Amino acid sequence: MKSLIYISIAFTFFLLSCSKKELGPQCVDCPNDFTETELSDVLIVNEGPFMTGSGTVSLYKPSNQTISNNVYFQANAGNNLGNIAQSITQIDNKAYIVINNASKIEIADINNFTSLGTITGFNSPRYMLPINTNKAYVTDLYSNSIQIVDLNSNSISGSIPLSGWTEELLLHNDTVYACDVTNNNLLLLNPNTNTLVDSVKLGVQPLDIVKDQNNKLWIMCNGGINEANPKLIRFNPTNRTIEHTFVFPSIAESPGNLKINATGDQLYFINSNVYKMNISSNSLPTLPLITNNNNIYYGLGIDPTNEEVYVSDAIDYVQNGVIFRYTPSGALIDQFTAGIIPRDFLFIQ
Amino acid sequence: MYAQTQKDTLSINTVEVVANRIPEAYKKTAFDSLTINEAVNLSELLQEHSPVFVKNYGSGGLSTVSFRGTGASHTKVLWNDINLNSPMNGQIDFSLYPTIFFNNAELHHGASGLIDGSGSLGGSVHLSNSTSYNRGLKIGLQQAIGSFNTYTTALKVGSSNKKWFTETQLYFNTSKNNFKYLNNALQEETISTQNNANIKQYGFQQAIYKKNKSGEVGVRLWYFNSDRMLPPTMQVNVNDENQKDESLRALFEWKGLSGNLKYKWVNALIKDQLIYTNTLAQINSKSNSHLISSKLLTRYYLKNNFILTNNISITHESAKADGYNNQHNRQNYTWLLGITKNLNRLNIDVFNRFNRTGENTRLFSPSISVNYGLLKHKQLKIKANTGINYNFPTFNDLYWNPGGNTSLKPEEAQMVEFGVSYDHLKSTHTTIQFEATSFYSYVYNWIIWQPTLEGYWSPSNIKEVENKGIELSVKMKTKINKLTLIANANYSYTASTNLKAKNEFDNALDKQLLYVPYHKINYTIRASIKSFSVNYNYNYTGLRYTSSDNNWYLPANFTSDIGLSKKLKTSKKSSCNISFKVNNLFNQDYQSIAWRPMPGRNYLGTLTFLFN
Repeated sequence: MKSLIYISIAFTFFLLSCSKKELGPQCVDCPNDFTETELSDVLIVNEGPFMTGSGTVSLYKPSNQTISNNVYFQANAGNNLGNIAQSITQIDNKAYIVINNASKIEIADINNFTSLGTITGFNSPRYMLPINTNKAYVTDLYSNSIQIVDLNSNSISGSIPLSGWTEELLLHNDTVYACDVTNNNLLLLNPNTNTLVDSVKLGVQPLDIVKDQNNKLWIMCNGGINEANPKLIRFNPTNRTIEHTFVFPSIAESPGNLKINATGDQLYFINSNVYKMNISSNSLPTLPLITNNNNIYYGLGIDPTNEEVYVSDAIDYVQNGVIFRYTPSGALIDQFTAGIIPRDFLFIQ
Repeated sequence: MYAQTQKDTLSINTVEVVANRIPEAYKKTAFDSLTINEAVNLSELLQEHSPVFVKNYGSGGLSTVSFRGTGASHTKVLWNDINLNSPMNGQIDFSLYPTIFFNNAELHHGASGLIDGSGSLGGSVHLSNSTSYNRGLKIGLQQAIGSFNTYTTALKVGSSNKKWFTETQLYFNTSKNNFKYLNNALQEETISTQNNANIKQYGFQQAIYKKNKSGEVGVRLWYFNSDRMLPPTMQVNVNDENQKDESLRALFEWKGLSGNLKYKWVNALIKDQLIYTNTLAQINSKSNSHLISSKLLTRYYLKNNFILTNNISITHESAKADGYNNQHNRQNYTWLLGITKNLNRLNIDVFNRFNRTGENTRLFSPSISVNYGLLKHKQLKIKANTGINYNFPTFNDLYWNPGGNTSLKPEEAQMVEFGVSYDHLKSTHTTIQFEATSFYSYVYNWIIWQPTLEGYWSPSNIKEVENKGIELSVKMKTKINKLTLIANANYSYTASTNLKAKNEFDNALDKQLLYVPYHKINYTIRASIKSFSVNYNYNYTGLRYTSSDNNWYLPANFTSDIGLSKKLKTSKKSSCNISFKVNNLFNQDYQSIAWRPMPGRNYLGTLTFLFN
C-alpha cells in the first residue's frame, strides 16, 4: 500500500518534470519559412477559428507556387493577430489587417511583415479605406458609425455617426461610397467634412462595392437570408441614380464577394459557383466560370496583374482551408493549403 | 467501501427502491458522499474524480461533459430519474449544479445509458436525493471563503420522524472571479487580470416525503438562478456579455415495494430560461423551455431468479427562442422492457427500448449484457455488453431560423464493451477494487452544423465517428493503526476517429476529433487520523487537438489540489468542521479551451457547523 503511494507521488513529479512549458494552442506543422514578400505576391487573410482563435496571414508566391503560412506570427516572434481577421488593405508599404472581434487594426511592414503598431478602440471593424496619406475610414458592424483613422498617429481621430452595420466602401471623385447593410442603402460621404451627404436605397443587404472602367459603381446585395431576391446594381455616381438592377432568380441564392479585374471590364462573384460577367452584359451570367465541385467557396480574389482567379474553401471551418488558383478562363493552375477560414486576398502592389 | 462512507452522511436510504439500477456488466463510476461534498459543483466532481472529459469554457463559464469521444449533447443528465437536458440544444451546463443539491451521483458509461433513456450515446449522469426517517432534526450550515472574492453560503435543514421527512436546502454563491493569469496572446507576455467574469448563483431545494406501508410518497422542488458575466477570450480586448440562467424543477414521486413488485412513479415539471445579452453587438436574446414528464418504473421479481423490468415514460417538451419562428412542442414516448436472469455466477440482462420522439419512431434499441463471476467469492468478474442507442434531433437542429432542418434523422451509436473487475478483500482492514473496461463505439448520423451554399449554417446527419479506448479504475482502502488511507485513481484512453471527409480536400479524415484528449488521469489520496484528514488530488488531461486536421493542439495540463480538514466536537449534539484547500497547488498556467485562461494557485477555506 505504502509503495503504491510512493509510486503515485513519484509519477506525479515525473509528469510535472517531463513536460516542457507550452501554453495555449501549439502548431504541429508550421514551418518557419517566411523571409519577405515581393511585388505581385499574394497575401491571404485567414479569419482563424471562430470563437477562440486568432487570425493568420498566408503568403503565396505565384511565380514559384510556394505557400508560407502564419506570416505575421513568424515575423513577430510568435505573436498572434487576434480573433477573426476580417480584411487586409495596403497603404504604401504597410499592410493594415482589420481584426473584427478583437476590435483593432494591426499594422505590418508589407515587406518583412514586422509589426508597425496597432490601432485600437474600434467596436467591430470590417473594412478600411485610405482617403489620403493622413486619413482612412473604417466601417463597423455594431458601432453605428464609420471611424476616422489618423494614419500618422495610428489612432482614431473621430467618427461619422450612422445607423447600423456598414460594410465595403470605396472612394471616387472625392466622395466615399459605403454599403449600409442595416438600412439597405448606399451612403455617400464627404471625406473633407466627414459628413453624410446622401443615401440611395438599394436591395436587401448591400455588402460589396466595386468600380468599373466607365466609373460606374457595382453593388452586390445578397438579399439576406430568404428575405428578398439578391440584386446586382449598377449605379451612376454622376447623377446618383441606379442605372440597372440585375435580379437573381431565386430567393435562396446568396451571391457575394463581388470583385473586378484591373481593367475594370469583368466582374467576378461567388454564387455557389464562381461567375464572371462583362460590365456590358445585359443579363446575369448563367454558366459558371468555375463550378463548386462540392466545395463551399468562401473568399475570392482577382490578381490585378494577370486577372488570375483565387477562390477559397474553408472546408469545415476548423481546419486549414484550401485555395484554388485559376486562369481568367477558368482553368486550374494550382491549389494549396492556407490557414483556417481563408477570407480576403491582397495582391501586393 | 462506498456503503461505509455513505453512512456518515445525512441520509440512509430506508426505502431506496427501483433506483434505475444498471446491471453489473456495465461500466459505472460512483462517487462517495465525501467526494461529492468536497467538490464545488458537478463539473469539478467529474473533472477531478472520473474518467470522462470535462470541457471548461474558462473558470465559471459553460462546462460540458463528454464520454468516450462523443459530444456534449450525447451525455444525458437525470435527476431522480428525470432527464434535465435542454430540449433546445440537448446539453447541460455542469457548472450550474452545486453538489449540495444532490446526495448521490453515478456515471453510467456506454450502452448502459440505454437503460436510463434515449440519447446517451456516450453515457449518462445520475443525480439523486435520499430520504431518511426517524432521525430528528439535522442542521448543517456551511460558509466558504476563497480567492477572487468567492463567498459561498449553504444551509441544509432536515427533519424527520417515523412518518415524515422534510429537507430544506439554501445556497448562495458569489465570486468576482478576477484571477490573474499569464497572457501569452499579447504582444509581450504579461500577467493579465480576468475581467468581466462576475458570478452570482443562488438556489433552494425543498422536499417533503411521507412514508407509508410499502414505500414513500413525496414532492421535491428545486429552484436555481445564475447570473454571470462572460469574460472575453485572450484574443479579444473588450466585451460585455452576460448570461442569466433560471431553472425551476418540481417532482412528485411515489415509490414502494408490493409483493414481488418494486415500483416508482415520478412526475416532473422542468422549466428553464436563458437570457443572453451582448451590449457591444446589441444582442438581447431570450429562450424558454419546458419539460413535463411522467415515468413509471417497475421491476417484477419472478420465480427462478428472473427479473422483469418495465419502464414507460411520456414527456412533453416545448421551447420558444428568438431563433425560432414559433413555439415548438414535441411529445416523446418510450418503453423499456428488460429481462434479467441471475444464476449463481452468471447474470444475463436483455433490454429493449421502444422510442417515439415527435414523428420519429425507433422500435428497437436493444442492449445485452453478460457478467460472470470467477474465483471462490466471485471476486473476479468478466463483463461484456453491447447495445444500440439513438439521440433525437434537438429543437435548435430542427427549427432554428435560418438553417433548421426538419428532415434530420436521429443520431445512432452502436456500442460494445468488455471489462474485468476484481475486488480484493485481503482482510477487513484492506480493500482493493480494480476495474478495466475496453470500449468500442460507432456513431453515425451524428448531426453537425455546416455552412451552406446559401450563406448560412445548417445541420445535417453527416458525421461518422469511431471511438475506441479503455477505462481503468482502482480504489483502495487500508487501515494502518489509527491511519486510514484511501486512494482512488482513474485513467482513460480515447481514440476518437472521424470517418467521413467533406470533400477531397478535407484533412480531418481519419483524424482525432476536436477536443477529445487521448489520455486522462486523475487520482485522489486521502489520509485520516482520528478527526484530522489530508487529501491530495492529481488531474491530468492530455493533449487535445483544436483544429480538425490535427495541426493545432492544446498541450496537456495537470493540476494538483491539496486539502486539509479537521473535525471538532463542540457538544454532544453538534460538531464543527474546518477545512482548507489549495487548488492548482503548483500554479500551472493552462487553458482548457484555446485562449480561455484558467486560474492559477488559489485557496478555499470552509467552515461547516453540524447539529443533530
